[in-house]
Amino acid sequence: MSRRLTIVGLALLALALAAAPALAQKPVKIGVLTPLSPPGDPAAGQLILRGAKMGADEVNAKGILGGRKVELVVEDDAGTPEKGAAGFRKLATQDGVVAVIGQFHSSVALAVQDLAEQFKVPIFATQASARAFSEKHLNYSFRTHVIDTDRVQLWNRWIKEKGFKKVALLAENTDYGVGLVEDTKKLFPTMVPGAELKTIVFDRAVVDLTPQLLEIKSWKPDVVINIGVGTPAYLIIKQAADVGLLPGTPMLVSYDMPARAEYWKNLGEKGNFVSFLVYYHPTMKLTPRGEAFRAKYREQFKEDPVYASLNGYAQVVLIADALEAAKSDNSDALVKALLANKFQGWNATISFSRGDGPYWQQWTPPMLLMQYTKVDMPFTEAKIVFPAEFKTGDLVVPK
Amino acid sequence: MDLYLLSQYLLSGLVIGIIYSLMALGITFIYSIMKMINWSMGEFYMIGSYVQYFLVASVVGWSRWYLALPLAIASVFLLGLVVQRWLLRPMYVGGVERRDEYATVMTIALMVLFRNLAVVLGGPNQYSPRDYAKPTMLLTLPLSGNRFVALVGALLLLALFYLLVTRTWVGRALRGAAQNRVGIQTAGIDVLRLDMLAFGVGVALAAAAGALLAPDFLVYPENGAISTFKGFEIIVIGGLGSILGSVVGGLLLGVIEALGSVFISPAYKDLYGFVLLIALLVLRPTGLFGERERTV
Repeated sequence: MSRRLTIVGLALLALALAAAPALAQKPVKIGVLTPLSPPGDPAAGQLILRGAKMGADEVNAKGILGGRKVELVVEDDAGTPEKGAAGFRKLATQDGVVAVIGQFHSSVALAVQDLAEQFKVPIFATQASARAFSEKHLNYSFRTHVIDTDRVQLWNRWIKEKGFKKVALLAENTDYGVGLVEDTKKLFPTMVPGAELKTIVFDRAVVDLTPQLLEIKSWKPDVVINIGVGTPAYLIIKQAADVGLLPGTPMLVSYDMPARAEYWKNLGEKGNFVSFLVYYHPTMKLTPRGEAFRAKYREQFKEDPVYASLNGYAQVVLIADALEAAKSDNSDALVKALLANKFQGWNATISFSRGDGPYWQQWTPPMLLMQYTKVDMPFTEAKIVFPAEFKTGDLVVPK
Repeated sequence: MDLYLLSQYLLSGLVIGIIYSLMALGITFIYSIMKMINWSMGEFYMIGSYVQYFLVASVVGWSRWYLALPLAIASVFLLGLVVQRWLLRPMYVGGVERRDEYATVMTIALMVLFRNLAVVLGGPNQYSPRDYAKPTMLLTLPLSGNRFVALVGALLLLALFYLLVTRTWVGRALRGAAQNRVGIQTAGIDVLRLDMLAFGVGVALAAAAGALLAPDFLVYPENGAISTFKGFEIIVIGGLGSILGSVVGGLLLGVIEALGSVFISPAYKDLYGFVLLIALLVLRPTGLFGERERTV
């Protein structure tokens, strides 16, 4: 009897020993919840994913937490809160991810961050800038992207510097668009005293904006701010050129969509003279990690990286670093590690603190305003028109 | 209010209204003949825009968009014939019990299939063919060359469609099928073949709208959603099954949306059409040109 027990005991011990390395090798799953189909901005999602995959490859070359690999689990939120919520639930409950990155549309990010709190899975806004995201002061919400208020302050300073007196805002009716309109209305009187502001909010599903652009044209603005994301941003530029608003009236696109390779393919000469806000420029000096990523990206894709890829990459390596610092894949330990440590990002050191207002678990990249002055101009050659300390050219407005 | 500006708003509404009519005509035509709603109509619009983009980008060249246009329309017409023959005809033969449900389920399945196929084959990004023509003026309205081409193309197709339906033998047969499917069979006409033709023509009209509007409204997997949405609104406003109703409904919707979005708010642009639709359903449930069903 005792001999039989010994044999069974030895067999169980052998099984446990065999299983131990397998358990140690269980991958650490990171969710990428991002728009990969319309009505979201799928190009942005693809670029974020591209960076995230490169981040995972870099981490996997060494492994984390004693040799474990990182596995990305990708879900498409299509830029809609309902698909985002379904995707987040799946990532948190079925896939067991330790964190979720990739949030691009503010409406989706604001919807899923409550689920992040419920499931105790940290969520990272990659390019969602709604102020409310960090203003809610939630434990599991982090952002390494600009806040709407900062974006508005930048363009208000530019408007003041240029002496524009009539400013028109054409914004989609999403949290992003409405948030930017509200922030601009709030800050405009004090930052640009004496100037007039006209705001038009349109339904994001609408494809014909001709009446709104005719109305803006008849108002004779000095500058138009295009607050569309993805398809609406393209439609505003196309239709503004059709009604004769562009290129005679300067237009500022509220984010870095024109930096993408498909910009000229979709717009041709209608895209010329458009200004746009970016968070990265190819002449920027990056951290050693950022420089290595940039070189690898150029080699792999034969083009310069854009911000979405840089930030997607940086968030994956940031999570890997924080897990190493926490020495655990437990979400609370991860949050503690994120708050207690400093991490190397793509262009600077990233740290999170629990500041006032929207500066809660928030890290902000730099912002620049750029302009294309030639059809098919590569992003690397676009001029920096603001702020003054980085300026490489003046705003060009054709007569 | 500046009259010049008001005329611009009205014209822009009329232009988009005529294009909307083209989208609605296919839906109402298929309904008239086959007595079924094609929920995947927007996806045929989307396929038309993709085929047009593919042809101008890879086969005929950007400047020969006018050669690509009939090819795009013809290819979707053929696709429509195939879809009708293999997927929809079974509901008219073999005594399918719940014909309406069959058509609804099948066309919704096609909608999902085509959208996903577009993502798989073309990726999720937006595309745009180069401009068809230089910008122009339509009375007081500055108009893109693309929109002008779409307007002329839509008017031509509407006229051709009218001639087909009113002046040809096939058109008479189609009108007969719309009035009484059983009656027309007693006259020796193959109604199943007419169904196939009607479905092909209907989806080809949607594809024409997609191909004509591709440079203006872009090419992406969900670009047809708007055409389905507007198309259904128009056929209810104009009267289900009425060709004239599709044209008048499209124009009304275009103008109401343009004026509502300027004088009230563009954030609720889609709402104005629905307000009109609800008002009409209350006052005239058959729509502007719809007829009450006659029973014997």
